[in-house]
Amino acid sequence: MKTIENIPDSQLLLFKSCMVGQEYPGVETSTRYVFDRLGIDYCINDEQSCCTGIGHYTDIFEGLTTTAIAARNFAVAKRCGYPNITCLCSTCYAINKEACEVLNTNTEIREKVNSIFREQGLENLVYEKDDMNPKTNFYHAVEILLSKVNEIQEQKKFDFSGVKAAAHHACHYYKVKYLDVLGSPENPQLIDTIAAACGAEPLRWYEDRTLTCGMGFSQLHLNKKTSLQVTKTKLDSLQKAGVELMIHMCPNCHIQYDRYQPVIEKEFCVKYDMVHMNIAQFVALSMGADPYKICGFQTHSVPLEGFLEKNGII
Amino acid sequence: MIPYINEYDTPECKNLAETAKKSIRTPASLGLDRCIQCGACTASCPAARFTDYSPRQIVKKVLENDRGILKSEMIWSCFYCYSCNVRCPRNNSPVTIVQVLRQMAINEGIGVERLGYFVEIGEYLAVNGASKVPSAGVKNMERDLGERWIKFKKNLESIRVELDLSSKDIRNIHGEVQAILEGTGYFEREKWIKERIQEKHLRHLLKNQCVNKEDTNGEFVFENDREHTGQPAFII
Repeated sequence: MKTIENIPDSQLLLFKSCMVGQEYPGVETSTRYVFDRLGIDYCINDEQSCCTGIGHYTDIFEGLTTTAIAARNFAVAKRCGYPNITCLCSTCYAINKEACEVLNTNTEIREKVNSIFREQGLENLVYEKDDMNPKTNFYHAVEILLSKVNEIQEQKKFDFSGVKAAAHHACHYYKVKYLDVLGSPENPQLIDTIAAACGAEPLRWYEDRTLTCGMGFSQLHLNKKTSLQVTKTKLDSLQKAGVELMIHMCPNCHIQYDRYQPVIEKEFCVKYDMVHMNIAQFVALSMGADPYKICGFQTHSVPLEGFLEKNGII
Repeated sequence: MIPYINEYDTPECKNLAETAKKSIRTPASLGLDRCIQCGACTASCPAARFTDYSPRQIVKKVLENDRGILKSEMIWSCFYCYSCNVRCPRNNSPVTIVQVLRQMAINEGIGVERLGYFVEIGEYLAVNGASKVPSAGVKNMERDLGERWIKFKKNLESIRVELDLSSKDIRNIHGEVQAILEGTGYFEREKWIKERIQEKHLRHLLKNQCVNKEDTNGEFVFENDREHTGQPAFII
């Protein structure tokens, strides 16, 4: 089990996420904005590649490729002196953490990956056992925010009191490596605690709280109807509870709820009152960040203007 | 057709359970032999809620070494959400076992047509160091998400610059990712998959009317499985 005292605030490699970069770039900018104000020592290294998650979970990449790509990213992190990989996407987090475990415990695969590096003239990428520690080198950005929740509260410029919020914790953060979660994997409260520090009133439990977003990697594309039924189930539950803001920690869930909420409304003849944002965008906003130049709300599908106006931000 | 050999995802073993346990995709602590068929996996599964999918039944078939499971449509319904993984009281992990089954099916050319949609992800990653939504997916998103999203996508580069990011999310990978994908045999497999998809496409065109029942394991049939595509059991 992870403990809050052991979450680092230095030597963090802020691991770029492909889906953040292409769909919600403001999540990366917001995280940087908040990290800068919290005095966190981090770096972004554009030598870091995609974790392979999208290809891995659509069954395109085999495990060996995924592990070798992860080993390369570990070399990038170590080489620049920022070995604490801190992810914006829960799938990057799970893929990297699992690959590290495989590399440390499975000698055959480690040697195979290293022999590929040597054959390809990439000796600088060779991974030695325990170069990285799966328990202490891998974090999700939301864990860093939670460890600084008091500072977040102190630096708050806007108070969101009265905002009824609900958290959607990402499956690949708490259900893959469930022994390494901050809090209980049956009811994670990371986002709720941070949102409360910004003044919001998080709904600590709601029906289907632990249900997946429904994206399901290939499912959204190949079984769209089932995929959207899953998404709709949680939106229905939140609508019933009178939630106005749903807060995310993974770009895949964010796409599923924000991009597809209008699609579900149309296809299932329903109407929802929720808006969506990532927890880093919410914290940045409460610290006084610009909703467009930092948070990047112009990239969202469900317009946030009504919410921002109501709370006196625009 | 000669099956594809994927020795790390699907190591050749005496039965399905051993292959699942030795696979790179499943945790070393996999409690497959400890499964008591309690159904906690199915009870917490989003696919089971809306389709005929049943992780409990899949694990049972694996323990019975019933290779007919590879031909079941059911294995393609999993969301990879890992709810079964967190809920199993015996440390089993149906979600990772299903990943192994899908890889085994692919080795035999079963279900490869589903990969056609995503197969460009690898080449894009090799060149750019990032992944993207495949172009078929983009087309669907354009249709579903409409003007607002299309406009945002058109302006993505200027929005990224406004947000103090590089205009394009392209990584500085020095050709290393390409070299790794060559070294692991990724491209070889990709080529093999593309050929299988093409073959299937041709065969489909040829047989069009004369429906030739594929040989299936008669021992078990999941309800409605043969014609059922994994779509809704009921609509809410």
